[in-house]
Amino acid sequence: MNTLLRILVVVPGIFFTCIGLLWLIAPANAAAALGMPLLDGVGRSTQVADMAVFFLALGMMTVLAAISLKSRWFQLPALILLGAAAFRVLAWLVHDAALAVEPIALEVVVACLLLFASARLAEKE
Amino acid sequence: MRNVRSLRLLLLAATGLWHSLLLAQADSPNIVLILADDLGFSDIAPYGSEIQTPALSALAENGVSFTNYHTAASCAPTRGMMLTGVDSHRNGVPNIPETIPPELAQHENYRGTLSHGVVTVASLLQDAGYHTYMAGKWHLGQTPDLLPSRRGFERTVTMADTGADNWEQKPYIPIYERANWYADGERTTLPEDFYSSRFLVDNIIEFIDSKRADRKPFFAYLPFQAVHIPVQAPQEFTDKYMGVYDAGWTALREQRQSRARELGLVPATADMVTMSTTNDWDTYSDEERRYHAKRMAVYAGMVDAMDHHVGRLVEYLKSIGQYDNTIFIFTSDNGSEASGGDDVRSPLMRLSLAMNGYTNDYDTLGLKGSFNAIGPSFASAAAGPLAYYKFYAGEGGMRVPLIIAGEGLPVKGEWTSAFAWVMDIAPTILELSGVQPPGRYFGGHPVEPMTGRSLLPLAVGEVDRVYAETESVGYELAGNAALFQGDYKLVRNYLPVGDNRWHLYNIATDPGETADLSESMPGRFELMQTLYADYAADNGVLPLPAGYDATFQGVANGIRERFGLHILVALLALLILVPLYFAYRVSSRR
Repeated sequence: MNTLLRILVVVPGIFFTCIGLLWLIAPANAAAALGMPLLDGVGRSTQVADMAVFFLALGMMTVLAAISLKSRWFQLPALILLGAAAFRVLAWLVHDAALAVEPIALEVVVACLLLFASARLAEKE
Repeated sequence: MRNVRSLRLLLLAATGLWHSLLLAQADSPNIVLILADDLGFSDIAPYGSEIQTPALSALAENGVSFTNYHTAASCAPTRGMMLTGVDSHRNGVPNIPETIPPELAQHENYRGTLSHGVVTVASLLQDAGYHTYMAGKWHLGQTPDLLPSRRGFERTVTMADTGADNWEQKPYIPIYERANWYADGERTTLPEDFYSSRFLVDNIIEFIDSKRADRKPFFAYLPFQAVHIPVQAPQEFTDKYMGVYDAGWTALREQRQSRARELGLVPATADMVTMSTTNDWDTYSDEERRYHAKRMAVYAGMVDAMDHHVGRLVEYLKSIGQYDNTIFIFTSDNGSEASGGDDVRSPLMRLSLAMNGYTNDYDTLGLKGSFNAIGPSFASAAAGPLAYYKFYAGEGGMRVPLIIAGEGLPVKGEWTSAFAWVMDIAPTILELSGVQPPGRYFGGHPVEPMTGRSLLPLAVGEVDRVYAETESVGYELAGNAALFQGDYKLVRNYLPVGDNRWHLYNIATDPGETADLSESMPGRFELMQTLYADYAADNGVLPLPAGYDATFQGVANGIRERFGLHILVALLALLILVPLYFAYRVSSRR
């Protein structure tokens, strides 16, 4: 059961890492996948750098959680994901953004998985 | 060329003569504009319906009826274009505000409320000395500056939402906190004995009566709630149709097709499609059939009740000696509505209705507290023999009845198959009243010019068509799009019922849109797509966001409108409390 849980945690970690790498290798495709255009000039610099580091850090923390089984590595990415979901709702409420139901659901589900795994695996450790 | 010029001069002279005759008969005619809500192409007796509408039949016999009149396939865009003669993408109402995605709503002309850059026909008539009255659904904005009392109407009683209950002051869907009714620009409360059609006609009669002593002409705009959901009717009207629909929706659609052919509304050879959303009547149990037949009986009762109250208005005008000097225009804001599905007795559906204070029990269907809709299968019959229904750009969504009638009109009981468009209504009213359309400015402010055409030459039998074979008329609403040119129509129906691809039809010979000509007429197909692209660019049509779904958008916008502040407070509380919690845990470990 615990092994299965660790695998379940690794999968989104790898997924986030891949998205981070995609921002470095093929930023136009990565931008399109997230429903945004690829900007030019300084905008592109910020877009590529910030998005890549966000997803790579998120992915690495998640993978690290599965390897180290330390609670902080579960909780940090979970907080980031919950924050992202909350800010998406905020953007919809306040800034006329679309209500991105699927990404919000994905972020909440993965965050819950990480918190659950933290409670199960980190305690055993 | 000289012949053409001579002909034009002759036509102008004839139109002038008509005006002279009309104006000689009375200073200016009264105009009554009656708008049904979600009424299908074949839903009234003159258009082949089994529903008894003697008042509308009498109007049709006293004027001209249109078989090829088109409107927008949804409520507010029609109302905006009809009252201003300006394209929906220029007048601020390209869609109903409830389903406009926020990323589009940032654009000036995508707010779903009637822009101050357009002038209504009511404002123009009021300026010309008309009394202007309105009783009914507005749906073009409900801030004080957007209500009809500030858009040219002198006396108003109006409901500002997409729809509302017909028996009480109650919202029909939970995106509204209340049913927003206004009288002369102020919030108002409905009477205890309210039934929408009766109430609206009572008010119009009261408005007319209150000022009739000064002998000024009036413009009365009467947009009924009938037959928008919830479909509700007094029992005595429903009773007239019990048993009429027992053979089901497919039989009704065939019956409507047959009558439309007999009356010449469509060619005798015109075929029709079966919509993918039409269920198989034979698969339903006797109990289910009985229930569905009553759904449609209530609908017929609601149409019948509306007609009854139109008849009351006509009788009133006769009683005060104003009937002979009144021109009536009757039409619908779009085709029949398919919302509600055919599985309305499911526990989930009944639970969701109960949460909004409704039931849909057989015995009380259509009465106070009951929620009824005819669903996609009967909606297709109501639009019969046309394809699609409300929201879609198929003929069933856009082609609706139009009757222009009055004692002063020289034609009686005539039909025309000439193409006519919703933006033509305002210029027609202006020509009837002898009032000039606005120029580039109105009241010192720049305004969009009217681009519709007056249908008066058609209505008096002077011309066969007001749009030349080569002229095109474009249309777009939430991804559903069309371009009309001569007998041809380029059309794209958006998901989920449409395939989001362009098709080409000859709607003169094939109004049922059964034979796609895009492959057999590639030159025309390509040309009309180019013309549509020009129309979209010229009028500022914006592309929809990827994955746009009108139903989802309506729910999301409704939640944001009603519960946005609550959600925001909860989110901010979480954003403060969660870091505090983690900080507390870290410090307590030390």
